[in-house]
Amino acid sequence: MPGHVTAAAGSVQAGHELTGNAGVAGVGIGLRQPHYAQVLAAPPPLGFVEVHSENFFADGGAALAVLHRAREIYPLSLHGVGLALGSAAGLDPWHLDRLDRLVKRIEPVRVSDHSCFARAVLSPGQAVVHANDLLPIAFTDAALAIMVANVMQVQERLRRPMLVENLSSYVSFADDSMSEPEYFTQLCRRSGCGMLLDVNNIMVNALNAGAPDPLAACRSYVDALPLGIVGEIHLAGYVDAGEIVIDDHGSRVRPDVWRVYEHALKRFGPVPTLVEWDTGLPALDVLLDEAAHASALMVRAAAP
Amino acid sequence: MNIPNLAEPREAQRQRLLLAVFAAPAAGAVPALSIRELDARALRGFEAYRANAEALAERALGAVFATVQTMVGEDNFRHLAREFWQAHPPERGDMGEWGQTFPAWLGAHAAMAQWPYLGDCARLDLALHQNERAADAVFDAASLSLLESSDPALLSLQLMPGTALLRSAWPIATIHAAHCLDETQAAFVGVRAALDEQRGEQVLVVRKGWRAVVHRLGQAEADWSASLLAGTSLSIALESAGEAFDFAAWLSTALREQWVKGVAVLGD
Repeated sequence: MPGHVTAAAGSVQAGHELTGNAGVAGVGIGLRQPHYAQVLAAPPPLGFVEVHSENFFADGGAALAVLHRAREIYPLSLHGVGLALGSAAGLDPWHLDRLDRLVKRIEPVRVSDHSCFARAVLSPGQAVVHANDLLPIAFTDAALAIMVANVMQVQERLRRPMLVENLSSYVSFADDSMSEPEYFTQLCRRSGCGMLLDVNNIMVNALNAGAPDPLAACRSYVDALPLGIVGEIHLAGYVDAGEIVIDDHGSRVRPDVWRVYEHALKRFGPVPTLVEWDTGLPALDVLLDEAAHASALMVRAAAP
Repeated sequence: MNIPNLAEPREAQRQRLLLAVFAAPAAGAVPALSIRELDARALRGFEAYRANAEALAERALGAVFATVQTMVGEDNFRHLAREFWQAHPPERGDMGEWGQTFPAWLGAHAAMAQWPYLGDCARLDLALHQNERAADAVFDAASLSLLESSDPALLSLQLMPGTALLRSAWPIATIHAAHCLDETQAAFVGVRAALDEQRGEQVLVVRKGWRAVVHRLGQAEADWSASLLAGTSLSIALESAGEAFDFAAWLSTALREQWVKGVAVLGD
Protein backbone atom coordinates (compact mmCIF):
# COMPACT_ATOMS: atom_id res chain seq x y z
CA MET A 1 0.00 0.00 0.00
CA PRO A 2 1.42 3.42 -0.89
CA GLY A 3 3.16 5.29 1.84
CA HIS A 4 3.50 2.36 4.19
CA VAL A 5 6.64 1.76 6.11
CA THR A 6 8.23 -1.60 5.56
CA ALA A 7 8.66 -2.89 9.08
CA ALA A 8 11.35 -5.44 8.50
CA ALA A 9 13.85 -3.07 7.01
CA GLY A 10 12.79 0.02 8.93
CA SER A 11 12.83 1.94 5.68
CA VAL A 12 10.08 3.88 4.06
CA GLN A 13 8.50 3.84 0.67
CA ALA A 14 7.75 7.38 -0.28
CA GLY A 15 4.42 6.31 -1.76
CA HIS A 16 2.45 8.50 -4.14
CA GLU A 17 4.23 7.73 -7.36
CA LEU A 18 5.49 10.75 -9.18
CA THR A 19 3.44 11.62 -12.19
CA GLY A 20 3.21 14.68 -14.38
CA ASN A 21 1.70 16.40 -11.37
CA ALA A 22 4.17 15.15 -8.84
CA GLY A 23 3.74 17.82 -6.21
CA VAL A 24 -0.02 17.64 -6.04
CA ALA A 25 0.15 13.88 -5.65
CA GLY A 26 2.34 14.09 -2.57
CA VAL A 27 1.15 17.15 -0.68
CA GLY A 28 -1.77 17.22 1.71
CA ILE A 29 -3.43 19.54 4.19
CA GLY A 30 -4.91 19.06 7.63
CA LEU A 31 -8.68 18.72 7.27
CA ARG A 32 -10.27 20.73 10.07
CA GLN A 33 -13.93 21.26 10.95
CA PRO A 34 -14.36 24.81 9.52
CA HIS A 35 -13.28 23.51 6.10
CA TYR A 36 -15.29 20.28 6.03
CA ALA A 37 -18.17 21.55 3.92
CA GLN A 38 -16.02 23.44 1.42
CA VAL A 39 -13.57 20.59 0.87
CA LEU A 40 -16.29 17.97 0.47
CA ALA A 41 -18.43 20.15 -1.81
CA ALA A 42 -15.59 20.87 -4.25
CA PRO A 43 -12.61 18.68 -3.40
CA PRO A 44 -9.38 20.43 -4.33
CA PRO A 45 -6.62 18.32 -5.90
CA LEU A 46 -4.54 17.06 -2.98
CA GLY A 47 -2.34 14.06 -2.45
CA PHE A 48 -4.03 13.28 0.86
CA VAL A 49 -5.72 14.87 3.83
CA GLU A 50 -4.72 14.48 7.45
CA VAL A 51 -6.86 14.42 10.58
CA HIS A 52 -6.13 14.03 14.27
CA SER A 53 -7.11 10.49 15.17
CA GLU A 54 -8.54 11.31 18.59
CA ASN A 55 -11.16 13.62 17.10
CA PHE A 56 -12.80 10.54 15.58
CA PHE A 57 -12.71 8.14 18.52
CA ALA A 58 -16.44 8.49 19.19
CA ASP A 59 -18.74 5.57 18.45
CA GLY A 60 -20.59 7.58 15.80
CA GLY A 61 -21.81 11.04 14.93
CA ALA A 62 -21.34 13.75 12.34
CA ALA A 63 -17.54 13.99 12.47
CA LEU A 64 -17.11 10.31 11.73
CA ALA A 65 -19.56 10.56 8.83
CA VAL A 66 -17.51 13.42 7.39
CA LEU A 67 -14.37 11.34 7.75
CA HIS A 68 -15.89 8.45 5.84
CA ARG A 69 -16.91 10.87 3.09
CA ALA A 70 -13.41 12.39 2.95
CA ARG A 71 -11.93 8.89 2.78
CA GLU A 72 -13.97 8.24 -0.37
CA ILE A 73 -12.22 11.19 -2.00
CA TYR A 74 -8.69 11.23 -0.61
CA PRO A 75 -6.05 8.97 0.88
CA LEU A 76 -6.21 9.76 4.58
CA SER A 77 -3.38 10.14 7.06
CA LEU A 78 -4.32 9.47 10.70
CA HIS A 79 -2.10 11.62 12.89
CA GLY A 80 -2.42 11.01 16.61
CA VAL A 81 -1.70 13.42 19.42
CA GLY A 82 -2.58 11.18 22.34
CA LEU A 83 -0.82 7.81 22.24
CA ALA A 84 1.95 9.31 24.40
CA LEU A 85 4.44 6.83 22.99
CA GLY A 86 7.30 7.81 25.28
CA SER A 87 5.39 7.39 28.52
CA ALA A 88 7.12 5.22 31.10
CA ALA A 89 3.62 4.47 32.43
CA GLY A 90 2.93 2.63 29.17
CA LEU A 91 0.13 2.95 26.67
CA ASP A 92 -3.53 3.32 27.55
CA PRO A 93 -5.27 0.12 26.35
CA TRP A 94 -8.49 2.11 25.79
CA HIS A 95 -6.66 4.50 23.49
CA LEU A 96 -5.10 1.68 21.53
CA ASP A 97 -8.49 -0.03 21.20
CA ARG A 98 -10.04 3.13 19.80
CA LEU A 99 -7.18 3.74 17.40
CA ASP A 100 -7.34 0.17 16.18
CA ARG A 101 -11.08 0.51 15.56
CA LEU A 102 -10.57 3.76 13.66
CA VAL A 103 -7.79 2.28 11.53
CA LYS A 104 -10.05 -0.63 10.62
CA ARG A 105 -12.89 1.76 9.78
CA ILE A 106 -10.89 4.20 7.69
CA GLU A 107 -7.97 2.20 6.27
CA PRO A 108 -5.63 5.20 6.34
CA VAL A 109 -2.62 5.54 4.07
CA ARG A 110 -0.45 6.34 7.09
CA VAL A 111 -0.72 6.21 10.90
CA SER A 112 1.49 8.43 13.02
CA ASP A 113 1.99 9.99 16.44
CA HIS A 114 4.68 11.85 18.34
CA SER A 115 7.88 11.15 20.20
CA CYS A 116 6.64 12.46 23.52
CA PHE A 117 5.14 11.47 26.83
CA ALA A 118 1.87 12.56 28.41
CA ARG A 119 0.87 9.79 30.82
CA ALA A 120 2.19 9.48 34.34
CA VAL A 121 1.05 8.56 37.84
CA LEU A 122 1.38 11.72 39.90
CA SER A 123 0.93 10.01 43.25
CA PRO A 124 1.11 6.33 44.25
CA GLY A 125 -2.25 4.62 44.11
CA GLN A 126 -3.81 7.27 41.92
CA ALA A 127 -4.98 6.87 38.34
CA VAL A 128 -2.67 7.61 35.45
CA VAL A 129 -3.08 11.22 34.35
CA HIS A 130 -2.99 12.14 30.67
CA ALA A 131 -1.67 15.66 30.08
CA ASN A 132 -3.09 15.84 26.55
CA ASP A 133 0.05 17.62 25.44
CA LEU A 134 3.22 16.63 23.61
CA LEU A 135 5.67 16.62 26.50
CA PRO A 136 9.40 16.21 25.89
CA ILE A 137 11.37 13.05 26.54
CA ALA A 138 15.07 12.69 27.20
CA PHE A 139 17.34 11.19 24.57
CA THR A 140 18.70 8.46 26.80
CA ASP A 141 18.99 4.70 26.39
CA ALA A 142 16.26 4.21 28.98
CA ALA A 143 13.84 6.59 27.27
CA LEU A 144 14.60 5.01 23.92
CA ALA A 145 13.85 1.54 25.32
CA ILE A 146 10.46 2.75 26.53
CA MET A 147 9.66 4.31 23.17
CA VAL A 148 10.74 1.22 21.22
CA ALA A 149 8.57 -1.05 23.38
CA ASN A 150 5.52 1.20 23.10
CA VAL A 151 5.86 1.73 19.34
CA MET A 152 6.19 -2.03 18.82
CA GLN A 153 3.08 -2.59 20.92
CA VAL A 154 1.11 -0.21 18.71
CA GLN A 155 2.43 -1.76 15.51
CA GLU A 156 1.66 -5.27 16.70
CA ARG A 157 -1.89 -4.24 17.57
CA LEU A 158 -2.51 -2.34 14.33
CA ARG A 159 -0.63 -4.95 12.32
CA ARG A 160 1.10 -2.21 10.39
CA PRO A 161 4.10 0.05 10.84
CA MET A 162 3.66 3.62 12.03
CA LEU A 163 5.51 6.91 11.76
CA VAL A 164 6.82 8.79 14.79
CA GLU A 165 7.24 12.56 14.69
CA ASN A 166 10.05 14.64 16.16
CA LEU A 167 8.86 17.17 18.68
CA SER A 168 9.21 20.88 19.25
CA SER A 169 10.07 21.16 22.92
CA TYR A 170 10.49 24.09 25.27
CA VAL A 171 12.79 22.35 27.71
CA SER A 172 15.51 19.77 27.09
CA PHE A 173 17.64 17.55 29.26
CA ALA A 174 21.26 17.82 30.32
CA ASP A 175 21.67 14.07 30.66
CA ASP A 176 20.86 13.26 27.02
CA SER A 177 23.25 10.56 25.90
CA MET A 178 22.61 10.81 22.16
CA SER A 179 21.57 13.38 19.59
CA GLU A 180 17.98 13.54 18.38
CA PRO A 181 18.83 12.20 14.89
CA GLU A 182 20.69 9.31 16.51
CA TYR A 183 17.68 8.67 18.74
CA PHE A 184 15.35 8.46 15.72
CA THR A 185 17.80 6.32 13.80
CA GLN A 186 17.87 3.84 16.67
CA LEU A 187 14.11 4.02 17.18
CA CYS A 188 13.38 3.24 13.53
CA ARG A 189 15.97 0.48 13.35
CA ARG A 190 14.86 -1.26 16.56
CA SER A 191 11.08 -0.90 16.25
CA GLY A 192 10.60 -0.97 12.48
CA CYS A 193 8.73 2.33 12.52
CA GLY A 194 9.43 5.23 10.19
CA MET A 195 10.04 8.86 11.01
CA LEU A 196 7.63 11.70 10.45
CA LEU A 197 10.04 14.60 9.99
CA ASP A 198 8.59 17.94 11.10
CA VAL A 199 10.99 20.50 9.67
CA ASN A 200 9.24 23.34 11.51
CA ASN A 201 9.89 21.58 14.81
CA ILE A 202 13.59 21.28 14.00
CA MET A 203 13.74 25.02 13.36
CA VAL A 204 11.78 25.87 16.52
CA ASN A 205 14.17 23.78 18.61
CA ALA A 206 17.22 25.30 16.92
CA LEU A 207 15.93 28.80 17.61
CA ASN A 208 15.06 28.01 21.21
CA ALA A 209 18.47 26.43 21.73
CA GLY A 210 20.05 29.68 20.56
CA ALA A 211 21.88 28.00 17.69
CA PRO A 212 24.29 30.54 16.13
CA ASP A 213 23.18 29.51 12.65
CA PRO A 214 19.73 27.87 13.01
CA LEU A 215 19.47 27.00 9.32
CA ALA A 216 22.82 25.24 9.37
CA ALA A 217 21.79 23.39 12.53
CA CYS A 218 18.60 22.19 10.82
CA ARG A 219 20.47 21.06 7.73
CA SER A 220 22.92 19.14 9.89
CA TYR A 221 19.98 17.46 11.63
CA VAL A 222 18.52 16.40 8.28
CA ASP A 223 21.90 15.18 7.05
CA ALA A 224 22.36 13.08 10.16
CA LEU A 225 19.25 11.01 9.41
CA PRO A 226 19.76 7.89 7.32
CA LEU A 227 18.16 7.74 3.90
CA GLY A 228 14.95 5.79 3.83
CA ILE A 229 13.55 6.38 7.30
CA VAL A 230 11.42 9.46 6.61
CA GLY A 231 7.87 8.56 5.58
CA GLU A 232 6.23 11.97 5.77
CA ILE A 233 7.27 15.59 6.26
CA HIS A 234 5.32 18.22 8.18
CA LEU A 235 5.36 21.96 7.50
CA ALA A 236 3.79 24.59 9.74
CA GLY A 237 4.18 28.10 11.05
CA TYR A 238 5.72 29.21 14.34
CA VAL A 239 5.41 32.38 16.38
CA ASP A 240 8.29 34.26 17.97
CA ALA A 241 7.09 35.12 21.48
CA GLY A 242 10.26 36.95 22.45
CA GLU A 243 11.93 34.77 25.05
CA ILE A 244 10.78 31.66 23.29
CA VAL A 245 9.60 30.47 19.89
CA ILE A 246 6.27 28.63 19.96
CA ASP A 247 5.24 25.97 17.45
CA ASP A 248 1.65 27.18 17.23
CA HIS A 249 0.60 25.98 13.75
CA GLY A 250 -1.08 29.35 13.38
CA SER A 251 0.56 31.07 10.43
CA ARG A 252 2.17 30.52 7.05
CA VAL A 253 5.35 28.46 6.85
CA ARG A 254 8.35 30.69 7.56
CA PRO A 255 10.96 31.25 4.83
CA ASP A 256 13.70 29.56 6.88
CA VAL A 257 11.50 26.47 7.27
CA TRP A 258 10.88 26.32 3.53
CA ARG A 259 14.65 26.24 3.06
CA VAL A 260 14.99 23.31 5.47
CA TYR A 261 12.18 21.60 3.56
CA GLU A 262 14.01 22.05 0.27
CA HIS A 263 17.10 20.56 1.86
CA ALA A 264 15.10 17.59 3.15
CA LEU A 265 13.57 17.00 -0.30
CA LYS A 266 17.02 16.94 -1.86
CA ARG A 267 18.14 14.38 0.69
CA PHE A 268 15.09 12.15 0.97
CA GLY A 269 13.31 12.67 -2.34
CA PRO A 270 9.62 13.48 -2.84
CA VAL A 271 8.32 12.39 0.56
CA PRO A 272 4.57 12.94 1.19
CA THR A 273 4.25 16.33 2.83
CA LEU A 274 1.59 17.87 5.06
CA VAL A 275 0.84 21.55 5.59
CA GLU A 276 -0.42 21.86 9.17
CA TRP A 277 -2.53 24.75 10.44
CA ASP A 278 -4.39 24.24 13.71
CA THR A 279 -4.90 27.62 15.39
CA GLY A 280 -6.45 30.69 13.83
CA LEU A 281 -7.45 28.64 10.82
CA PRO A 282 -7.32 30.74 7.65
CA ALA A 283 -9.49 30.57 4.54
CA LEU A 284 -9.04 27.28 2.70
CA ASP A 285 -7.39 29.09 -0.21
CA VAL A 286 -4.51 30.12 2.05
CA LEU A 287 -3.88 26.52 3.03
CA LEU A 288 -4.09 25.43 -0.58
CA ASP A 289 -1.64 28.15 -1.53
CA GLU A 290 0.84 26.79 1.01
CA ALA A 291 0.27 23.28 -0.34
CA ALA A 292 0.84 24.52 -3.90
CA HIS A 293 4.15 26.04 -2.84
CA ALA A 294 5.21 22.77 -1.24
CA SER A 295 4.18 20.98 -4.44
CA ALA A 296 6.29 23.32 -6.56
CA LEU A 297 9.32 22.72 -4.38
CA MET A 298 8.74 18.98 -4.55
CA VAL A 299 8.56 19.05 -8.33
CA ARG A 300 11.69 21.17 -8.52
CA ALA A 301 13.58 18.84 -6.19
CA ALA A 302 12.54 15.83 -8.27
CA ALA A 303 13.72 17.41 -11.53
CA PRO A 304 16.88 15.87 -12.96
CA MET B 1 4.19 -6.37 25.66
CA ASN B 2 5.47 -4.90 28.93
CA ILE B 3 7.77 -1.93 29.15
CA PRO B 4 11.18 -3.07 30.39
CA ASN B 5 11.30 -2.54 34.14
CA LEU B 6 14.96 -1.64 34.02
CA ALA B 7 14.10 1.42 31.99
CA GLU B 8 11.29 2.64 34.18
CA PRO B 9 12.65 4.14 37.38
CA ARG B 10 14.69 7.06 36.09
CA GLU B 11 12.38 8.07 33.25
CA ALA B 12 9.21 7.32 35.21
CA GLN B 13 10.43 9.58 37.99
CA ARG B 14 11.42 12.30 35.54
CA GLN B 15 8.05 12.17 33.81
CA ARG B 16 6.11 12.24 37.06
CA LEU B 17 8.04 15.30 38.23
CA LEU B 18 7.75 17.00 34.87
CA LEU B 19 4.02 16.50 34.73
CA ALA B 20 3.68 18.02 38.18
CA VAL B 21 5.92 20.97 37.29
CA PHE B 22 4.10 21.59 34.01
CA ALA B 23 0.89 21.85 35.98
CA ALA B 24 2.35 24.35 38.45
CA PRO B 25 5.83 25.67 37.56
CA ALA B 26 8.08 26.03 40.61
CA ALA B 27 11.62 27.37 40.49
CA GLY B 28 12.89 24.93 43.08
CA ALA B 29 11.92 21.89 41.06
CA VAL B 30 13.92 22.74 37.96
CA PRO B 31 17.41 21.61 39.07
CA ALA B 32 16.09 18.18 40.09
CA LEU B 33 14.90 17.48 36.57
CA SER B 34 18.25 17.72 34.74
CA ILE B 35 16.86 20.52 32.61
CA ARG B 36 19.45 21.93 30.25
CA GLU B 37 17.99 25.43 30.08
CA LEU B 38 18.83 27.92 32.82
CA ASP B 39 16.17 28.63 35.44
CA ALA B 40 14.42 31.62 33.88
CA ARG B 41 14.39 30.09 30.42
CA ALA B 42 13.22 26.74 31.79
CA LEU B 43 10.39 28.41 33.66
CA ARG B 44 9.35 30.16 30.46
CA GLY B 45 9.26 26.76 28.79
CA PHE B 46 7.16 25.32 31.61
CA GLU B 47 4.88 28.33 31.33
CA ALA B 48 4.30 27.54 27.65
CA TYR B 49 3.14 24.02 28.53
CA ARG B 50 0.97 25.26 31.40
CA ALA B 51 -0.68 27.91 29.23
CA ASN B 52 -1.41 25.28 26.61
CA ALA B 53 -3.04 23.01 29.20
CA GLU B 54 -5.22 25.83 30.51
CA ALA B 55 -6.33 26.83 27.04
CA LEU B 56 -7.07 23.21 26.22
CA ALA B 57 -9.11 22.76 29.40
CA GLU B 58 -11.23 25.80 28.66
CA ARG B 59 -11.70 24.86 25.01
CA ALA B 60 -12.60 21.23 25.73
CA LEU B 61 -15.07 21.97 28.51
CA GLY B 62 -16.52 24.93 26.62
CA ALA B 63 -17.27 22.67 23.66
CA VAL B 64 -19.34 20.41 25.90
CA PHE B 65 -20.83 22.72 28.53
CA ALA B 66 -22.09 25.53 26.34
CA THR B 67 -25.06 26.38 28.55
CA VAL B 68 -22.89 26.60 31.64
CA GLN B 69 -20.28 28.71 29.86
CA THR B 70 -22.91 31.19 28.71
CA MET B 71 -24.52 31.31 32.14
CA VAL B 72 -21.40 31.98 34.19
CA GLY B 73 -19.57 34.05 31.56
CA GLU B 74 -16.27 33.35 29.85
CA ASP B 75 -14.01 34.66 32.62
CA ASN B 76 -15.66 32.60 35.35
CA PHE B 77 -15.75 29.57 33.09
CA ARG B 78 -12.02 29.91 32.38
CA HIS B 79 -11.30 29.83 36.12
CA LEU B 80 -13.65 26.88 36.62
CA ALA B 81 -11.96 24.96 33.78
CA ARG B 82 -8.50 25.50 35.29
CA GLU B 83 -9.72 24.50 38.73
CA PHE B 84 -11.44 21.40 37.39
CA TRP B 85 -8.29 20.40 35.49
CA GLN B 86 -6.35 20.51 38.77
CA ALA B 87 -9.03 18.58 40.67
CA HIS B 88 -9.91 16.04 37.97
CA PRO B 89 -7.17 15.95 35.31
CA PRO B 90 -7.88 13.98 32.15
CA GLU B 91 -7.13 10.27 32.24
CA ARG B 92 -7.67 9.68 28.52
CA GLY B 93 -5.96 11.08 25.45
CA ASP B 94 -9.30 12.00 23.91
CA MET B 95 -10.52 15.29 25.34
CA GLY B 96 -14.02 14.49 24.11
CA GLU B 97 -14.15 11.95 26.95
CA TRP B 98 -13.11 14.44 29.63
CA GLY B 99 -15.58 16.23 31.87
CA GLN B 100 -17.96 13.45 32.85
CA THR B 101 -17.52 14.37 36.51
CA PHE B 102 -17.81 18.10 35.81
CA PRO B 103 -21.58 18.32 36.51
CA ALA B 104 -21.27 16.77 39.97
CA TRP B 105 -18.16 18.82 40.74
CA LEU B 106 -19.85 22.00 39.60
CA GLY B 107 -23.02 21.22 41.51
CA ALA B 108 -21.02 20.90 44.72
CA HIS B 109 -18.83 23.97 44.12
CA ALA B 110 -19.22 26.36 47.04
CA ALA B 111 -18.67 29.46 44.90
CA MET B 112 -21.52 28.40 42.63
CA ALA B 113 -24.04 27.85 45.43
CA GLN B 114 -26.06 30.90 44.36
CA TRP B 115 -26.94 28.99 41.16
CA PRO B 116 -28.13 25.63 42.52
CA TYR B 117 -29.35 24.57 39.06
CA LEU B 118 -25.89 24.76 37.45
CA GLY B 119 -25.09 21.12 38.09
CA ASP B 120 -28.28 19.93 36.38
CA CYS B 121 -27.69 22.32 33.46
CA ALA B 122 -24.24 20.77 33.09
CA ARG B 123 -25.79 17.29 33.11
CA LEU B 124 -28.00 18.30 30.21
CA ASP B 125 -25.04 19.73 28.31
CA LEU B 126 -23.15 16.49 28.87
CA ALA B 127 -26.09 14.37 27.72
CA LEU B 128 -26.29 16.39 24.49
CA HIS B 129 -22.55 15.95 23.91
CA GLN B 130 -22.68 12.22 24.54
CA ASN B 131 -25.69 11.83 22.27
CA GLU B 132 -23.80 13.38 19.37
CA ARG B 133 -20.92 10.91 19.94
CA ALA B 134 -23.16 7.85 20.29
CA ALA B 135 -23.17 5.05 17.74
CA ASP B 136 -25.18 5.61 14.58
CA ALA B 137 -28.07 3.18 14.21
CA VAL B 138 -30.54 2.34 11.50
CA PHE B 139 -34.24 2.02 12.29
CA ASP B 140 -35.39 -1.57 12.01
CA ALA B 141 -38.80 -1.00 10.41
CA ALA B 142 -39.53 -4.70 9.99
CA SER B 143 -39.30 -5.24 13.74
CA LEU B 144 -42.46 -3.14 14.26
CA SER B 145 -44.53 -6.08 13.05
CA LEU B 146 -43.72 -7.73 16.39
CA LEU B 147 -46.10 -5.25 18.01
CA GLU B 148 -49.01 -6.96 16.26
CA SER B 149 -47.86 -10.54 16.50
CA SER B 150 -46.30 -10.86 19.96
CA ASP B 151 -47.26 -10.53 23.60
CA PRO B 152 -46.19 -7.05 24.91
CA ALA B 153 -44.91 -8.76 28.03
CA LEU B 154 -42.25 -10.40 25.85
CA LEU B 155 -41.23 -7.31 23.87
CA SER B 156 -39.06 -4.27 24.49
CA LEU B 157 -38.94 -1.07 22.49
CA GLN B 158 -35.41 0.14 21.90
CA LEU B 159 -34.56 3.80 21.58
CA MET B 160 -31.69 5.09 19.47
CA PRO B 161 -28.19 4.97 21.02
CA GLY B 162 -27.39 8.07 23.04
CA THR B 163 -30.98 8.73 24.05
CA ALA B 164 -31.04 10.01 27.63
CA LEU B 165 -33.71 10.98 30.14
CA LEU B 166 -33.01 13.77 32.62
CA ARG B 167 -35.34 14.61 35.47
CA SER B 168 -34.55 17.81 37.29
CA ALA B 169 -36.05 19.91 40.03
CA TRP B 170 -35.06 22.92 37.91
CA PRO B 171 -36.29 24.19 34.53
CA ILE B 172 -33.24 22.88 32.67
CA ALA B 173 -34.84 22.80 29.23
CA THR B 174 -36.04 26.39 29.55
CA ILE B 175 -32.60 27.52 30.76
CA HIS B 176 -30.82 25.63 27.98
CA ALA B 177 -33.09 27.08 25.31
CA ALA B 178 -32.66 30.64 26.57
CA HIS B 179 -28.85 30.41 26.69
CA CYS B 180 -28.12 28.32 23.62
CA LEU B 181 -31.05 28.55 21.23
CA ASP B 182 -33.15 31.66 21.78
CA GLU B 183 -31.11 34.34 23.49
CA THR B 184 -33.92 36.91 23.48
CA GLN B 185 -35.11 38.97 26.41
CA ALA B 186 -38.42 37.11 26.31
CA ALA B 187 -36.62 33.79 26.72
CA PHE B 188 -34.83 35.02 29.83
CA VAL B 189 -38.10 36.36 31.23
CA GLY B 190 -39.39 32.82 30.76
CA VAL B 191 -36.43 31.44 32.71
CA ARG B 192 -37.07 33.83 35.59
CA ALA B 193 -40.75 32.87 35.68
CA ALA B 194 -39.92 29.15 35.65
CA LEU B 195 -37.41 29.60 38.49
CA ASP B 196 -39.88 31.70 40.49
CA GLU B 197 -42.54 29.03 40.26
CA GLN B 198 -39.89 26.38 41.12
CA ARG B 199 -40.76 24.42 38.02
CA GLY B 200 -38.92 21.17 37.51
CA GLU B 201 -38.51 19.79 33.99
CA GLN B 202 -38.04 16.34 32.54
CA VAL B 203 -36.43 15.98 29.15
CA LEU B 204 -35.48 13.39 26.62
CA VAL B 205 -32.21 14.01 24.76
CA VAL B 206 -32.49 12.65 21.23
CA ARG B 207 -30.70 13.10 17.94
CA LYS B 208 -32.30 15.08 15.12
CA GLY B 209 -30.18 14.62 12.02
CA TRP B 210 -26.66 14.87 13.43
CA ARG B 211 -27.60 17.27 16.23
CA ALA B 212 -28.71 16.36 19.71
CA VAL B 213 -31.88 18.15 20.77
CA VAL B 214 -33.97 18.50 23.93
CA HIS B 215 -37.56 17.26 24.00
CA ARG B 216 -39.63 18.23 27.03
CA LEU B 217 -41.70 15.46 28.60
CA GLY B 218 -44.80 15.25 30.72
CA GLN B 219 -44.86 12.95 33.74
CA ALA B 220 -46.38 9.98 31.90
CA GLU B 221 -43.97 10.29 28.98
CA ALA B 222 -41.02 10.55 31.37
CA ASP B 223 -42.09 7.41 33.26
CA TRP B 224 -42.59 5.60 29.97
CA SER B 225 -39.18 6.71 28.67
CA ALA B 226 -37.49 5.65 31.89
CA SER B 227 -38.94 2.17 31.52
CA LEU B 228 -37.85 1.88 27.90
CA LEU B 229 -34.33 3.01 28.72
CA ALA B 230 -34.23 0.48 31.56
CA GLY B 231 -35.10 -2.25 29.05
CA THR B 232 -38.33 -3.35 30.65
CA SER B 233 -41.09 -5.11 28.74
CA LEU B 234 -43.66 -3.08 26.89
CA SER B 235 -46.40 -4.19 29.24
CA ILE B 236 -44.47 -3.02 32.31
CA ALA B 237 -43.57 0.24 30.57
CA LEU B 238 -47.21 0.88 29.75
CA GLU B 239 -48.19 0.10 33.30
CA SER B 240 -45.59 2.52 34.69
CA ALA B 241 -46.76 5.28 32.35
CA GLY B 242 -50.33 5.04 33.64
CA GLU B 243 -53.67 5.35 31.94
CA ALA B 244 -53.07 8.95 30.84
CA PHE B 245 -50.31 7.84 28.50
CA ASP B 246 -51.32 7.73 24.82
CA PHE B 247 -49.12 5.05 23.30
CA ALA B 248 -50.39 5.52 19.72
CA ALA B 249 -49.69 9.25 19.78
CA TRP B 250 -46.25 8.71 21.33
CA LEU B 251 -45.34 6.05 18.75
CA SER B 252 -46.40 8.32 15.90
CA THR B 253 -44.14 11.11 17.20
CA ALA B 254 -41.30 8.73 17.99
CA LEU B 255 -41.31 7.22 14.51
CA ARG B 256 -41.53 10.61 12.81
CA GLU B 257 -38.66 11.98 14.90
CA GLN B 258 -36.62 8.78 14.56
CA TRP B 259 -36.30 8.11 18.29
CA VAL B 260 -36.94 4.38 17.90
CA LYS B 261 -34.30 1.88 16.89
CA GLY B 262 -36.69 -1.06 16.81
CA VAL B 263 -38.70 -3.64 18.70
CA ALA B 264 -36.99 -6.67 20.17
CA VAL B 265 -38.05 -9.88 21.84
CA LEU B 266 -36.82 -9.87 25.44
CA GLY B 267 -34.06 -12.34 26.04
CA ASP B 268 -33.01 -12.52 22.39
